[in-house]
Amino acid sequence: MCCTHSFEDRKPATVPAEKLDLEAVQGMKFFDPHVHMTSRTTDDYQAMADSGIVALIEPAFWLGQPRTGIDSFRDYYSSLIGWERFRSSQFGIKHYCTIGLNSREANNEKLAEEVMELLPLFIYKEGVVGIGEIGFDDQTAAEEKYYRAQLELAKESGLPVQIHTPHRDKKKGTQRSMDIAIEHGLDPYKVIVDHNNEETVKEVLDKGFWAAFTIYPFTKMGNERMVEVAKQYGPERIMINSAADWGISDPLAVPKTAALMKIKGIGDEAIKLITYSNAIKAFAQSGQIDEKDFVNSASVDQSQKFEGNTVLRGGQQPRTNKSSIIIS
Amino acid sequence: MFDYDAERLRGVMVEIARSNISSDAWDWLHEKISLSEISSINSIFSRMPRMTGKDAVRVSPSDAESLEDLKPGFGLVNWTADRLGRVCLLMHIDPSDKERYLKTVEDLFLAAEMGELVALYSALPLLAYPEHWKFRCAEGIRSNMANVLEAIMYANPYPAKYLDESAWNQLVMKAFFTEKDIKRINGFDERANAELARILSDYAHERWAAGRSVNPLLWRATSGFIDQQIKDDLGKVLSDGDLRERKAAALTIFKSNSPEAKGLLKNYADLVSDIENKKLTWDTL
Repeated sequence: MCCTHSFEDRKPATVPAEKLDLEAVQGMKFFDPHVHMTSRTTDDYQAMADSGIVALIEPAFWLGQPRTGIDSFRDYYSSLIGWERFRSSQFGIKHYCTIGLNSREANNEKLAEEVMELLPLFIYKEGVVGIGEIGFDDQTAAEEKYYRAQLELAKESGLPVQIHTPHRDKKKGTQRSMDIAIEHGLDPYKVIVDHNNEETVKEVLDKGFWAAFTIYPFTKMGNERMVEVAKQYGPERIMINSAADWGISDPLAVPKTAALMKIKGIGDEAIKLITYSNAIKAFAQSGQIDEKDFVNSASVDQSQKFEGNTVLRGGQQPRTNKSSIIIS
Repeated sequence: MFDYDAERLRGVMVEIARSNISSDAWDWLHEKISLSEISSINSIFSRMPRMTGKDAVRVSPSDAESLEDLKPGFGLVNWTADRLGRVCLLMHIDPSDKERYLKTVEDLFLAAEMGELVALYSALPLLAYPEHWKFRCAEGIRSNMANVLEAIMYANPYPAKYLDESAWNQLVMKAFFTEKDIKRINGFDERANAELARILSDYAHERWAAGRSVNPLLWRATSGFIDQQIKDDLGKVLSDGDLRERKAAALTIFKSNSPEAKGLLKNYADLVSDIENKKLTWDTL
C-alpha cells in the first residue's frame, strides 16, 4: 500500500538521467515479493518478464478508495487467486499472493469484523504465501485490534506475515509492529517487515525479522540509497520490492536496482540474495512456493498445461509491435 | 437427484483416485469422504493439492470404459491428481438436504482459486440437481481463464445436455473466439441450430472483412441450416479457400440436406469421392 501523499507533495529532485540499461543483469532471475498487479497493464507484465522477473507476490491492499461491503472484499481476494493469477501466467510469471485486511480499512470496524470471518476461506488456498499486507497506517486502536487478530490467524495457520509499516511516524510504527508480533509469539523469522528505510533497518535486522525495502519513486526508497544500505548491511535477511500499484511507481524496480548494484560493485551472490533468494526463503515457509514452478515455467505445473493450448505456456502471449503506428 | 448412477460412478472415480495418489494422501482423502457429514469442506477442498500433489492422472482403459458407460462424454483427459481428488470430494457431499447441498457447492464457487474453478466446472455433469447448475455453467463460459473454459468445453457432457440454446451458442462462439479445440466439444453437431449457423456466418464475414482467417470447423455447425447467405459463403470458400477450407466446405455441404447447396459440389468430384470413400471425414480434417 503506497502513495499516501498527494501528487503535489512529490518534489522530484533534478535527477541526472542515467541511461536505462539492464544489460548488466541479463540472464539473472528476479522475484518481486510485493507488487499490486491488478493495478498494472499487460505492458508491465511483458516488460517484467523481459527483464527477468519470474515470480511475484501480490499482497492484498486497499484499492485507493474504501470498499463499502463484504462482497467487494470477497471478489477482490478471489481475483487475486483467480483472474490475476491467470493473467500473470500468460506472461510466464508465477503469481503468488498474501491475503489480509489492510490497516486503512481496519478502521471500518463493522466491515472489518465481516472480513475477519471471510479470511479463513482464503488463506489456505493454493499459492497464498502469507497474511498481508497488515499492520499500521494511522496507528489507531482499531488498526491495532485487527493487526493482532490477524497475527493470531497467521500463528494458527503457520503462514508468514507481511507487515506494512506506516508512512507517518514510521520508526515508532515499525517498532510497535515488531513488539506486538513478538508479544503474540510469532517467530521473527516468519515475519517480513516491509517499506524499511535507513532509520528502521538496523532494529528490524537486530530483532531477527526480514527487512524488505520498497523501491518507489519520490515517496519511499530510491535505488541509489538502496545500494548504500546493501553495502552497509550486507544481503542477509534483506529483500527489495517495487510495491508498484496505481500510483506513479515502477514494476521494474527490482531488476533496475539489481543492475545498479552490479554497476556499483556489489557481488552477484549478494544481488541474487537481495533480489531473488531471500524472498523465496522467507515466503516459502508457507509451504506454497516451489521454485521448480518458475525456474522451468514451461514444464512443471500440469494443471496449467493443456494440450492444444498455446496461451498458457510461459511467455507466449502474442506481441504487439510497439514501434509501429499500425495496430493489427 | 442425479441423472446417472451416482453410486457406481463414485466407485470408479474413487478407485482411479486411489491408484493415482500416495497411500498417505489416499488415507487422508478416504477418511474425509467416508464421513457421513463432511465438515470444513472448504478447507479440505483448498488443501487438496498439498495432500494429493498435482501429477497427471493415469486412467486404465477399462476404467475409461466404465466412465464412458456410466456418464457418456465424461472423461479425465489431462486431469491432475488434485482435480480428481476435489471432484471425488464433491461427489461425496450429502445431497439429501437440497438447499444445504446447493449452498455448500455454490459457496465453493464463490471463493474458488483457478485450480478449484477447474475442478468445480468439470464436476458439473456429476453434481446432484443438474437443472440447478445452468446459470453457473453459463457464468463459467463468460470466464476468460483458458483452463476454466476448457474444463467446461472438453470431456464435459453437462453443457450440451442442459444449456438453453442461447447459452449453448455462447459456448460455441467463445470456443471459436478463444481458439479452442472444437473437436473436443461434446455435442457440437447435435446442438447445432439455425441461430448459431447465422451467428457463425456473420462471424466469418467479420473475420473476412478484417483480413483474418476463419477456422474451417466453423462451417461444420452450419450443415443442417444452409440458407442463401451460408450457401454463398460455402461457394466462396470452395472457390477461394485453401485446401483445408475447401475440404471443410465440401464436408459441410455433403452432409447437408440442401439440394441447392449440393449443386456447388459438381466441380469438386475429387473431394466428393474422398468423402464417399471415408478418406475425408471431420476427424481426418
